[in-house]
Amino acid sequence: MAAEDANAAIVPEAEVVMELATSTDPRAVARTLREQPVVQIPDMFSLVTRRHDVEDALRQSSVFSWGAVGMDLGNVRPLIPLQIDPPKHVKYRRILDPLFAPKRMAELEPDVVALVGELVGRFSSRGSCDFHEEFAVPLPCTVFLRLLGLPYSDLDLFLSLKDDIIRPAGDLDEQARRRRKAGDTVYEYFGKVLEQRRVHPTDDLLARIIASELDGEQLTDEEVMDISYLFLIAGLDTVTDSLDCFFALLAQEPEHRRLVVDDEAVIPSAVEELLRWESPVPAVPRRTVQDTEIGGCPIPAGEQVMILLGSANTDHDAHPGLDRLDLTRSPNPHLAFGGGVHRCLGSHLARLELRVALREFHRLIPDYALAPGTELQYTPGLRSLHTLPLVFEPVA
Amino acid sequence: MRVRLDAEACQGHGRCYMLAPAVFDSDDLGHCVVLTESVAPEYEDAARQGVENCPERALSFAD
Repeated sequence: MAAEDANAAIVPEAEVVMELATSTDPRAVARTLREQPVVQIPDMFSLVTRRHDVEDALRQSSVFSWGAVGMDLGNVRPLIPLQIDPPKHVKYRRILDPLFAPKRMAELEPDVVALVGELVGRFSSRGSCDFHEEFAVPLPCTVFLRLLGLPYSDLDLFLSLKDDIIRPAGDLDEQARRRRKAGDTVYEYFGKVLEQRRVHPTDDLLARIIASELDGEQLTDEEVMDISYLFLIAGLDTVTDSLDCFFALLAQEPEHRRLVVDDEAVIPSAVEELLRWESPVPAVPRRTVQDTEIGGCPIPAGEQVMILLGSANTDHDAHPGLDRLDLTRSPNPHLAFGGGVHRCLGSHLARLELRVALREFHRLIPDYALAPGTELQYTPGLRSLHTLPLVFEPVA
Repeated sequence: MRVRLDAEACQGHGRCYMLAPAVFDSDDLGHCVVLTESVAPEYEDAARQGVENCPERALSFAD
């Protein structure tokens, strides 16, 4: 039936979606997929591949629903605001967006600068590090704990919870069991925190969320928990992924790194370009709630759809030149943070962390390379690395 | 040069006011506010940067 299915290509393997994250060259995988606007993987999902169609699907949030996806993240209620559809979604974003607006995030900069210095200081005299373990993981997680006013001693607990939810070990049954158990722990943890906050009010992001009103009423404890739960899984992993991707690339391509080291003014555009090029979140899921079409291909109601952000970001038929990495690129209207009403809530925090990391790390360690014999292994789903061993001249 | 904002399409990516603070600002939500719809010649390049970097195509030139 493929020939009659206006434009829709049928691919029998789901592996191709994994490769969008795991390949050392995901751009090449995406290029092949873009030969068709919609690629069907039978009994699994349809992939939206081209820039224009990706924008189209992201904008139609009531047809391509997040709420209907039904993704198991160990939660028993929808995560707020991600798994809530409009119109209620808009109300939550009105509360949350101001708390994550760029001006608010800029206040955190001195703290992030100090933290980067502290992390680099732990390995700079050694001449080597596991960038993933010693920098990319602790940086965003520590920022997150401070932002929410939670103790640093809970770092390891948070890391194991988010790993058990995002990439649990074991077969499918074991994975579901780990997710569920981690989910229970998250609810229990934030339940206790909320109890404490009622007795001892604080002044931090969590306090501002607790104090928020929706339609003239305070948020319920469940709502605050469902927001915190989402922060835990959305806020920790994706900045780690981005740092891994960026520094692995810069370690291997000194001419690009040289640009960042020689002229710090290039860093804002470098961050945008590295986000576009690497697209650490290669795809976002949706489910159609009515019959629709994308790029002339019919998509029935109830279909699971993967919107390929990374593919849209490198679609050089839409914008010539997107098949090259250019850290000074302008304009660069990429979709690495998604688009439409679900645009990444934490994007301005992520940008701040990534800019500060690029600037401060390179001031301290301008030259580095992959440790000899390193073979990079990118993770499926969200594109990060299991380990990123770097070597450099020890800093006294 | 005139700049037009489709406020419905803006999702608060914040690219415009980060790149061209002389032409664009943000409201409490982090969504775009056009400071001067009619852009003075010295800010035309900045305005163009803001318009062309919007991932939602929420900004355009009116003439």
